[in-house]
Amino acid sequence: MRTFSLSRDTFHILVSLAECDRHGYSILQEIAERTDGAVRLSPSTLYSAIKRLLEEGLIEELEERPDPQHDDERRRYYRLTPNGKKAALEEARQLEKLLADARATGLAPKRI
Amino acid sequence: MPSARYRESGILRLYRHCLALYPSEFRDEYAHELCLTFADRWREERSPRVWLEGMSGILQEAPKEHLHVILKDLRYALRILRKDTTVTLAALAILALGIGATTLVFSLANGLLLRPLPYADPGRIVAVGEYSPTDPNEYGQISFLNFRDYQARARLVENVGIYSGYSVILRGDGGAETVSAEAISDGVLRSLGVAPTLGRIFTREDTAPNAARVVILSEELWTRRYSRDPQIAGRSIEVDSAKRTVIGVMPANLQFPSNTQLWLADRSDPAKSARTDYYMRAIARLKPGVTVEQAASEWESILEQIHRENQATNNNWKALVTPLRTFEAQDYRKQVIALLVAVALLLAIACANVSNLLVVKASARGREMAVRMAMGASRTRLVRQLASESVLLGLAGGVLGTGLAYVGLPALLSLIPVDLPRWMKFSLDGRVLLFSLAVSLATSLAFGLVPAFGSSVVDLSSSLKEGGRAGSGGGRHKLLRGGLVVGEVALSVILLAGAGLTVRSFLALRAQNLGYNPDHVLSMDVGYPDQRYPDGPKAHEMLRRLTADISSLPGVTSAAFTTGVPLGQDRWSRIYAIEGRPRALKDMPWTNHVVVVPGYFPTLGIPLDEGRDFTEADYDNPHVLVVTRAFARINWPGESAVGKHVRFGPPANNEAWFTIVGVAADNRHDVLKGHGRPVVYRPYSADITPSSLLVRTSGDPAKMVSAIRVRMRAFDPDIALDHVITLPQLIEQASWQDRFLAILFLAFAVLALTLAAVGLYAALSYTVSLHSREIGIRMALGASSASVQGMLLRQGMALAVAGLAIGLAGALAMTRLLESQLYTISPSDPITYAVTPLVLLAVATLAVLVPARRATRVDPAIVLRSE
Repeated sequence: MRTFSLSRDTFHILVSLAECDRHGYSILQEIAERTDGAVRLSPSTLYSAIKRLLEEGLIEELEERPDPQHDDERRRYYRLTPNGKKAALEEARQLEKLLADARATGLAPKRI
Repeated sequence: MPSARYRESGILRLYRHCLALYPSEFRDEYAHELCLTFADRWREERSPRVWLEGMSGILQEAPKEHLHVILKDLRYALRILRKDTTVTLAALAILALGIGATTLVFSLANGLLLRPLPYADPGRIVAVGEYSPTDPNEYGQISFLNFRDYQARARLVENVGIYSGYSVILRGDGGAETVSAEAISDGVLRSLGVAPTLGRIFTREDTAPNAARVVILSEELWTRRYSRDPQIAGRSIEVDSAKRTVIGVMPANLQFPSNTQLWLADRSDPAKSARTDYYMRAIARLKPGVTVEQAASEWESILEQIHRENQATNNNWKALVTPLRTFEAQDYRKQVIALLVAVALLLAIACANVSNLLVVKASARGREMAVRMAMGASRTRLVRQLASESVLLGLAGGVLGTGLAYVGLPALLSLIPVDLPRWMKFSLDGRVLLFSLAVSLATSLAFGLVPAFGSSVVDLSSSLKEGGRAGSGGGRHKLLRGGLVVGEVALSVILLAGAGLTVRSFLALRAQNLGYNPDHVLSMDVGYPDQRYPDGPKAHEMLRRLTADISSLPGVTSAAFTTGVPLGQDRWSRIYAIEGRPRALKDMPWTNHVVVVPGYFPTLGIPLDEGRDFTEADYDNPHVLVVTRAFARINWPGESAVGKHVRFGPPANNEAWFTIVGVAADNRHDVLKGHGRPVVYRPYSADITPSSLLVRTSGDPAKMVSAIRVRMRAFDPDIALDHVITLPQLIEQASWQDRFLAILFLAFAVLALTLAAVGLYAALSYTVSLHSREIGIRMALGASSASVQGMLLRQGMALAVAGLAIGLAGALAMTRLLESQLYTISPSDPITYAVTPLVLLAVATLAVLVPARRATRVDPAIVLRSE
């Protein structure tokens, strides 16, 4: 099992794909909205990450276009694979554990 | 809003152009998406921040993508290389040998020609001297008086200094010891710009004829003899029976001019110096911004002026200014260049060999390439893939080769029997390592690109159709393989011819008639205290008694003192005139000039052709000469020289006339190779006391050394023995460069021949494996194994003969480079050029015969069934 090897950007991408399948720009938008604009990926960072995720089989490219809002048939849509889901879940657990550890040591407040 | 309709604004076009920074694979896959996403972002915000974000993203990610691709290529290359272990190991071994040999030779070149001298701003230090336009042996010295004038008049150089070498004897503080010393003027250490560890360096005042005698010690001598005494400056030590004050110690890196242990202030007296005495050398420092050429032309005009002012001593010599580095390395330059050329040929053969292996592999991989192209891999992609395989191979070969050079360097240096000046440092320094890396990469390109381009030009359909036998690779590969093998053979023929010439030259050098019998002869310098034995009766008595003492030792056949041991350090030569044939100074010829004690000729075994040998009676009437046959022939061709009169020195000196009483056989006195000068021998006299001793023994001369030492010490404990060496060792030292060159050439030639043979063998084996089906059918149809073997032999030998022909032509052109290094052997030596093809053809036949014979052992049934 992979441990803690997802970068923050990659994790954000996986999280944004957890809800529904998306194309690149939609991923960027979702991340920006979810983080109140705190995390803004450049297109380059996004596609480099997408390339790795595809290579590692954590996401896959869709044949059909599920988002009717954008009807450019040249856009590519991505979906989380079962492996990707597993990796993201594992990453979330690790972060949770880390947060718990931080609370236990008094580094982070018990309640946010 | 439909994004298909976004406007191609200028900003967007610029963004698209910037995507060119990505590797093409990435671009092909994502450029469109990137543009779309960027356009969306731009429409959303239309602020410079988006633009900045987009650009910095490209700049951050594009290099990573490139690295990613390279790593992927390398990983794939590693996998491919590991899959085919035999080919990989063979290629690595060949590359390691080629790069190792090249690195080794380059480290020699680096030490001799490139590494800067260990002095301050060494590029500005020049050697200043004169040379005879008529006699190439007279090169680089300067006369003391000319130096004085130059020092006073030169404007473009500073710190002109002279130096001349001596052996001096140290006494006191622990026994008599001979050390190499240099008499230098104040300019020398200033030109070199090296500060003393202790004390001070010489000043102009120290060099006045009546100045107090002062010396500077080398770090080594200070440590060894004086235990690094911090109070040494100001101490008085005994040098050559005279007290001298130590004024300083120089640091260990100062070895000027060679392995000097002690520097004396040169106190030459201009009033007692002759303008035609040449035993000193000079250096100077160019003033800032002055070129060597400018300094040379200034010195030339000063020298012409000197000649005009001193007509009686005008010898017409020319001015010489060269960078010190060039001057010091001049004896080695040509050999090093010849070796560099030779090793470059070897490296080319290694490249061709590995190239051939890869071509064979690439043609076997034709199908793989075709499949990858069919799946959409671009041609650049495939070339890059193959290039990364060869770079990986080249770098690994480079690492192994550098390792080989590291191990081989001490072995190579052990072939040098002389003490090289210590500024010649041979090590794998940064420059050598950088060179090795560059060679590895260049090599990778050389051996990798041919097969890379060859195999990326894949004809898809034919490769796929050819199926399992895709290996043939078609005519193009066959031609390429053939060409590489022919090239290898040709290059190895050149090296073989070079080896033949250098080896033959070396053997001729060592087999030549020296004119004396060096076996069982020991030579040594005898340092006696000058004050106890001044020239005259005391020195005469000492030499007679010492000669008698040493001669009476059991095992000693004879002994004789001389001023010049054959091929030894002493090079005393003089200009001379013949009675009745007056000549201007500038036209006077030179001869070696040796002062000997009776018994010299029998001790060396030099036969007297005519007249008589010296006797003790000549000591009191010393104006007699024995000359060599060459001296007689030059001056009195067809006539007897006995009874003729000769005078030494410039006409103005009016020295005494000598009468020739005997003619000795020609012998190699000054040089082992090249044009030596004739020799005249004079008997010792009250004026000159020779101090080198030759001893002929009946057994091993080395075993007599301690008995001689004991006898000398018994005679006078203050006598120092030095430079104890046998004549065969001297000959060894005089010919080491030839031996070195011959050994390296031979090693390179053997390697080259082996590689060429392996190349031939591999090429034919491969042909056999490709055509095993055809061979099987032929044999099934009744072809005899002899006819099949004949066919294959013809194919293989055709390559060898083509390579041989090209190689012989190349050798005839390239071995001219060796001309100046060869002794009595012409660069087109018929024996070398007769033997070279024989050796090559013999080796080629063997290399071709093995696969040819194996081919005919094929069982047609098995071959046909496997199809």
